[in-house]
Amino acid sequence: MAVSVEDKPPIAREPAELPPALTLSPLTSKALPNWALKACMAITGTVGALFLAVHLLGNLKVYLGADAFNKYASGLRSFGEPYLPAESFLWLLRIVLLICLVVHVIAGIMLWERSRVARGKFKAKRTNGLRAWSATIQPISGILIFVFLIFHLADLTWGKVVAAQGFVETTATTSSAYQNLVHDFSRPWSAIIYVIMMILIAAHVGHGVSTVVHDLGSMGWRWRAVFVVIAGALAIVILLGNASIPIAVLAKVVTLS
Amino acid sequence: MKLTLDIWRQKDSASEGHFETYEVDDLDPGMSVLEMFDRLNEHLILEGKEPVTFESDCRESICGCCGVTIDGHPHGPTPHMTTCMQRLRQFTDGQRLRIEPLRAGAYPVVQDLMVDRSGLDRIIAAGGNVDVDAGSAPDAEALPVEHATVEKALDFAVCIGCGACVAACPNGAAMLFTGAKLLHLSLLPMPKIERNRRAERMVAAMEGEFGACSLYGECSAVCPEEIPLTAVAAVQHERLGALLARKL
Repeated sequence: MAVSVEDKPPIAREPAELPPALTLSPLTSKALPNWALKACMAITGTVGALFLAVHLLGNLKVYLGADAFNKYASGLRSFGEPYLPAESFLWLLRIVLLICLVVHVIAGIMLWERSRVARGKFKAKRTNGLRAWSATIQPISGILIFVFLIFHLADLTWGKVVAAQGFVETTATTSSAYQNLVHDFSRPWSAIIYVIMMILIAAHVGHGVSTVVHDLGSMGWRWRAVFVVIAGALAIVILLGNASIPIAVLAKVVTLS
Repeated sequence: MKLTLDIWRQKDSASEGHFETYEVDDLDPGMSVLEMFDRLNEHLILEGKEPVTFESDCRESICGCCGVTIDGHPHGPTPHMTTCMQRLRQFTDGQRLRIEPLRAGAYPVVQDLMVDRSGLDRIIAAGGNVDVDAGSAPDAEALPVEHATVEKALDFAVCIGCGACVAACPNGAAMLFTGAKLLHLSLLPMPKIERNRRAERMVAAMEGEFGACSLYGECSAVCPEEIPLTAVAAVQHERLGALLARKL
């Protein structure tokens, strides 16, 4: 029997329904999406990298002698006077850096946890050379740098717990930063920790700064190539410049006299 | 040619998987990896055993269906090449290979070497289309599009959706895939109109199931279509652009 047109079943025009989405991470939220966290990390990381560059320039004054270095240390406290109250510039800098640090660390932990969940239980092989290697150690170096930061402040700013014998606290008018530095790095273990941390900081800055342009959405290949060069140069300068200081102290190039 | 294969066997997504070892000794170096599976399955069927499930369709690097992990490399050890195009001559006679499905938290195993990649479909469904009514075709010169722009859009439209980028990523991120789609549409005049809305929707769908980029660069290194890391930056570019721009 011939089938009439009406008898035919209607052709399904609705698109095939997709299976429901997997909800992998309990941390994924609309309020703090990954793209925003990544942009925050790029901005706060850039502030941190700029701080490291300025900090390096200050550190290198150690080669100009005790007076030049101590004068610079005092100068940070009196910067902006008489237009600004005493130490106000220093505190402004400290507050900005602290906010950047907190945002950077929290965003980093959240992104790390989300990505760990998204990866699942089977880990991926690293095949992409230096870039993959530096990305892999980024969270590890980040944690160690955070611990070192507290150590470094206790050692040379607060003069507590891990500080060297003979630490002299800074007053409003005088600074003993040079003497404190020499006392500190005369202890070989402290110098070794410092040099190792400079290698980790260089690796962290090298990868971090080169990703900044990606995370802020720059699609031009020139910008991204330029930032790879900037990141590499900054990493090498920070490593060589800072790590030379404890070595110079141990080699008696930088001495108390 | 003889190869020893440690192949991942898993009954369904609910059960635990394990490796099983097979020896295949009647292989030809000119065979593809998929043809090796065909040969293995012929033997298994003749022996009355369950054949290995794997996905394949066009077998000419267009459909994006195939894709297994060989010795930790999504698609296989030869870079920028789908599993169907990977030849056995890259292996030495008697070599042992570890063959698993594409691995990612968002890729549940359906059976053996076959995974469910519909997370990628959900990203496309969230906005990878043109919603505006384009009407009938305009006159040829009414809407000039530079040839270089068309070529660039095509460079990103070549994504075959195989999902190897996610499997290669230590973070299980789908940024290369999503960025390629966003960029390809944002470069062309009609789809460009709704680029901000599209970026919001597709990035939200992506982040619900996939990880974030740490710029390992593993995705681009395996991509059969050699999509550059520009696509990764495109996700941030389009999404941050949508934050600053008027809606649509």
